[in-house]
Amino acid sequence: MKRQGKIRDEWIVGGHRFSSRLLMGTGKFQDAETMAGAVLASGTQIVTVALRRVGRIPQEDDMLGPLQQLGGITLMPNTSGARNASEAIRAARLGRDLSGSPFVKVEIHPNPHHLMPDPIETFEAARVLAAEGFVVMPYMPADPVLAKRLEDVGCASLMPLGSAIGSGHGLATAEMLRLILRDARIPVIVDAGLRSPSEAAAALEMGCDAVLVNSAVAASGDPIAMAAAFAQAVEAGRTAHRAGLMPRGGGAALATSPLTAFLSVEGP
Amino acid sequence: MKLTVNGEAYEARQAESVAALLEEMGIGGRAVVVVLNDEVIPASTRSTCGLREGDCVDLFRLVGGG
Repeated sequence: MKRQGKIRDEWIVGGHRFSSRLLMGTGKFQDAETMAGAVLASGTQIVTVALRRVGRIPQEDDMLGPLQQLGGITLMPNTSGARNASEAIRAARLGRDLSGSPFVKVEIHPNPHHLMPDPIETFEAARVLAAEGFVVMPYMPADPVLAKRLEDVGCASLMPLGSAIGSGHGLATAEMLRLILRDARIPVIVDAGLRSPSEAAAALEMGCDAVLVNSAVAASGDPIAMAAAFAQAVEAGRTAHRAGLMPRGGGAALATSPLTAFLSVEGP
Repeated sequence: MKLTVNGEAYEARQAESVAALLEEMGIGGRAVVVVLNDEVIPASTRSTCGLREGDCVDLFRLVGGG
């Protein structure tokens, strides 16, 4: 039997082709060097960045420089901080001017307690931005009805939450994600809530096209090692999905080895 | 000249253009987008775009985020 070479397994979002199925956020890192190291170790091709007003005394690390040095990275500015659609639209346009990228992560979460995305404002912002030609990637509640509506107005992907941002509660929305996956004709990316690589693998096994992580890497003990672990998990999950999981047994066990009683003495 | 920069009062010493204001604030070389009275000023016209008393200037940049 011939050993199979690695099969090219790309996915397309908004007409852009990617091979890595791990998207990374760049927030919460100790410093720009650790961030860049984690981005490199993750093999990611899409990273999110945020828009902020310039402080009177600029002191934050320059994030763009290290990312641009890595090469092959598509920037996806988010609209974090926007409380409604019009603020998000404004942020998206400024983000495009700064990044030169058509990608935008529409993110509107008005309540700082739970950071749940506002479905109505998210829909409105996505509709306007998609019509303007943005590659719209909406962070959204795991709601299959909203998913269809966002797809209909021209979003490039759907980014339902696994659980609350930064919570590390994993795939709490798994059943809703299955419903979204069943009908989606655009890529589905689990965004938010993941804590461990095994959860990322589970999302890909389930059929999600990719996952987006930030806190899980940035707030881990060793962000660079954790980024590598997520990369492996995403690859394993995707390969498992393509291979097809075995059917579940009907309650009884099924032996893997022959159960012939070879220890008993055979008759003459 | 009295301006409002990022929502705060700012006394410009000698900045007569957007580019000069960025220099004065020490952010001349950084990747920022400039919004003057709610209008985005392209980088190419910063040195010719004049400032007037009472103008509102907002400056944005990209930072880490998820």
